[in-house]
Amino acid sequence: MATVVSGPQVASARPAAPSRRVSSSARRPNRIGTVVLLIGALYCLMPVVWVLTASTKSANELFSTLTFVPSTHLWDNIRELSAYRGGLYWRWMANTALYAGVGALASTLVSAMAGYGLAKFVFPGKRAVFNVILAGVLVPGVVLAIPQYLLLAKVGLTNTYWSVLLPSMISPYGIYLARIYAAASVPDDVIEAARTDGAREWRVFGSISVPMMMPGLVTVFLFQFVAIWNNFMLPYIMLGNDRLFPITVGLSGLLNQGASQPAMYTSVITGALLSILPLGALFLTLQRYWQVDLAAGAVKA
Amino acid sequence: MRLHSGIRIGAVLAASALLVTACSGGGGSAGGSTAGSTGGSTAAGGKVDLTFWTWAPGMDAIVAKWNAENPNIQVTVNKQDGGDPAVTKLLTAIKAGSGAPDVMQTEYQKIPTLVSSDALADISGDLPKDLKSHYSDGTWQAVTLGGDQVYGVPQDSGPMEFYYRTDIFQQYGLTVPKTWDEYAQVAAKLHAADPTKYLGTFSATDAGWFTGLAQQAGASWWGVDGTAWSVNIDSAATQKVAKYWGDLVEQGVIDNKPMYTPEWNAALNDGTQAGWVSAIWAPGVLQGNAADTKGKWAMAPLPQWNAGDNATGNWGGSASSVTSQSKHKAEAAKFIAWMNSSQEGVDILAKQGGLYPADLPGQSEALSAPPAFFPQQTDFYKTAADIAKSVKPFTYGPNVNVAFSSYNDAFGKATQAKSSAAFVAAVKTMQDATVADLKNGGFTVKQ
Amino acid sequence: MNRATVATPNRGVRRHTGLRAYGYLAPAAVLFTLFLALPIVYALYLSLRTVKVKGLGLGRGARTEVWAGLSNYRHALVGDPDFLGSVGRVALYGLVLVPTMLGLALLFALLLDARGARARGFSRVSIFLPYAVPAVIASLLWGFLYLPRVSPFLYVAGRLGWPQPDVLSQQWVTFAIANIGLWGGVGFNMIVIYTALKAIPSELYEAARLDGASEAAIAWRIKVPVVAPSLILTFLFSMIATLQVFAEPMTLRPLTNTISSTWSPLMKVYRDAFTRNDIYSAAATSVVIALATFVLSFGFLRLVQRRAFSQENS
Repeated sequence: MATVVSGPQVASARPAAPSRRVSSSARRPNRIGTVVLLIGALYCLMPVVWVLTASTKSANELFSTLTFVPSTHLWDNIRELSAYRGGLYWRWMANTALYAGVGALASTLVSAMAGYGLAKFVFPGKRAVFNVILAGVLVPGVVLAIPQYLLLAKVGLTNTYWSVLLPSMISPYGIYLARIYAAASVPDDVIEAARTDGAREWRVFGSISVPMMMPGLVTVFLFQFVAIWNNFMLPYIMLGNDRLFPITVGLSGLLNQGASQPAMYTSVITGALLSILPLGALFLTLQRYWQVDLAAGAVKA
Repeated sequence: MRLHSGIRIGAVLAASALLVTACSGGGGSAGGSTAGSTGGSTAAGGKVDLTFWTWAPGMDAIVAKWNAENPNIQVTVNKQDGGDPAVTKLLTAIKAGSGAPDVMQTEYQKIPTLVSSDALADISGDLPKDLKSHYSDGTWQAVTLGGDQVYGVPQDSGPMEFYYRTDIFQQYGLTVPKTWDEYAQVAAKLHAADPTKYLGTFSATDAGWFTGLAQQAGASWWGVDGTAWSVNIDSAATQKVAKYWGDLVEQGVIDNKPMYTPEWNAALNDGTQAGWVSAIWAPGVLQGNAADTKGKWAMAPLPQWNAGDNATGNWGGSASSVTSQSKHKAEAAKFIAWMNSSQEGVDILAKQGGLYPADLPGQSEALSAPPAFFPQQTDFYKTAADIAKSVKPFTYGPNVNVAFSSYNDAFGKATQAKSSAAFVAAVKTMQDATVADLKNGGFTVKQ
Repeated sequence: MNRATVATPNRGVRRHTGLRAYGYLAPAAVLFTLFLALPIVYALYLSLRTVKVKGLGLGRGARTEVWAGLSNYRHALVGDPDFLGSVGRVALYGLVLVPTMLGLALLFALLLDARGARARGFSRVSIFLPYAVPAVIASLLWGFLYLPRVSPFLYVAGRLGWPQPDVLSQQWVTFAIANIGLWGGVGFNMIVIYTALKAIPSELYEAARLDGASEAAIAWRIKVPVVAPSLILTFLFSMIATLQVFAEPMTLRPLTNTISSTWSPLMKVYRDAFTRNDIYSAAATSVVIALATFVLSFGFLRLVQRRAFSQENS
């Protein structure tokens, strides 16, 4: 923080520094900056490292050896977790992938269309539609969960995959983002030219606009994927059958066993670790793409 | 490049379409398997599918046994988060008109709430006539609420006892407290000898625990007076219990941290918590949380308010109930009666579930050996059976949830403040919140 | 947004559009209506209802749902000190969290964008990683790291003879909860700001660099003003997230006496709906929270409107 804050003072005190400084300041490695970044990285990695070591410990070691020293029981813990109610954990994992993957894909498509429609067309009520969507961004999920349950129960959809998937498909935030990306990355003259060539509306959208919006849509997909992955309240309320649970609800159940049962801390910690891994891997691979592409797209626009 | 992206999009769309189809298949089959939960379904051959919401251990084993023996009444276990969440889910399903299971694990204190929301079916006509004789009067009263209707079959109970570390008691020359006065002295002595150690903790997150202690002291927080409810939380008995624990916390001789946290687990492991005021199911919890302390624990009756008394309270315990949305009440009633009152069922409850069965005839046979975690205390279940007989009567009302959540908040503040006066004030807060809620809901409340 | 600026570039497109826009919006509109609008209307309806009980309230038909007028609202706003208390706590939480989170996010983003700092790829990925951890699981992990007897940090601190504060005690618990929000949120906001920074054409500051301005000066005088719209938006979304804080205190609650069941407004909604089975006053409180969020957000947006929306015309 200090380096940034001191910035304007430095600049105003020395409006025109000698040019010798330029080359040196540009090439000199920024040690303080590096240290600050590494401290940030350390802070963010610490709990992950902790869960990594904690998941290698047996139930006794977890509460008797209290350091970052790993033990050797990771495999046992994974086996124990996998054995829980016939491998239910892995089913939760698959469910989560289904909810987040399909939900985010559908949501991205819906958002792309709506965002494109809002950004590239002029029509009566546009402003009102956009404001309604902005308002939708602000509504907390907890507020919606109970009415959503009661309404879905009326059509008999609670306690099914659909009860989690369908509400996940609409994301006002995704539409909002898609609108920004559409406005920034699809030039009007390109659409115009395609139409002049006689391309049909769907073709213009599908093979010209969507590819141009792609980097942004990957971002929308990621946001929505994480949002669904994170969502606890919706599946918690909608689902009674533990074979339909996503991982968050399942792990919370392992932790809240009621007074007369011991909490399954080792299984919960191992489960937490295993659930972080796939999403972390997804981030590592996809993050690079959308970073580079988004920047390129924005610069192009 | 652009063309390439176009193909990629096409592939993504196709893949998503596939996934959606796959998912609709999955959804369909899930819908099929959960049809039972929306009231049960009967297949052509007269086969009945029942769903069972529970969080008790060993239920998979008992259901597997039942399913093997009863091909026409097949039960599916849906494991739930313990306690409040499952009740809320059930009540929401009742309100929505669908989504409830056929059979539900019901904690005794939740039964009045569920009955008043019309969530449980009266199964008195579907049960064997002699079932009442299987249970103690207090347990039976909990599932009938004192009327002719029967809202469940008792499964297990949780008479309270005192657990302590024999090795630590020996090390510091402590004697097992018989009265609460002695408990306070032992607590002070232990903490003085080793300031890191405590004889117990006052847990503001476990309302059921405090309720059991108040029950032992003679409190009964709700009562029925004709057509009106009375609320007696702020009674002399409850105040006495609150002040007693408030004094201990204020003096700092017992801990003020909640139970069932990783920290408490660590404390059980390393002997920081050398005693635990708990209930009959404690061996299972200790085994799971502090496996290395095997053989070092012993169980004794709860300390008494007056020397020579013989009283205890309940902490935990559940019945199994049939919900009002079940379309197969008779079959569901048959299943829960078998599970909770046949020798076959009770054996599995005790041996594989680690529960203390409420069924008196089956109990003694099922519990011949001491818990594996207490190998040295060979008369464990004989002592327990004697203690179980001394459970004092207690009536729960229709808004236990309000009283309990008020307990968490009021006693949370009081334990944080470490003030005896705040403990007594917290009892008053609970009373006021509970009465206000009943009145607000339109219940008739006797002042 | 300024109508003139939108209309000008779109003039050519407009001729062809007509009703097509509605086709694009149709799926979103249907889903929005079914899963957002309808539940909100239903919540409004519920907030005006309540259940009345006869006598002991036992047995069939003892409960009936009736109109309650505004009594649920009156109860939520005036009759219940818990609600106002929760608002106060969350205000403090937001004051701690939002400036810290956005300040750090901006600092990290500028360092990532600046020349000279090393380990940038590693840091970017590491700082962003917590965003992939669900709040429930993050709170669980931090819960372990907070509890005095299991925390490795406090263990090390104790070994070194440093003080071992009880971070879940009354005076620190707000910071403990804010820390979890910070941990999960700083990377996300960093990426948003960093993305905006990457979009700045380098000509904009190459000149300044040649003129001898230091990296810090370039950051403060050129980069920060350009990413201001991103900062405004991240501020807005952080503010909304603050008002809706729920999963973190809810998960930490069983570990301590200091987090009450009404610690945050949404926890009160949860308690009313799920512990007290009173969905009617829960609905009323939710409506109040949603309205407050609208007023704050739109008020804020109005205040900074021109800057926020200048971004998309760039």
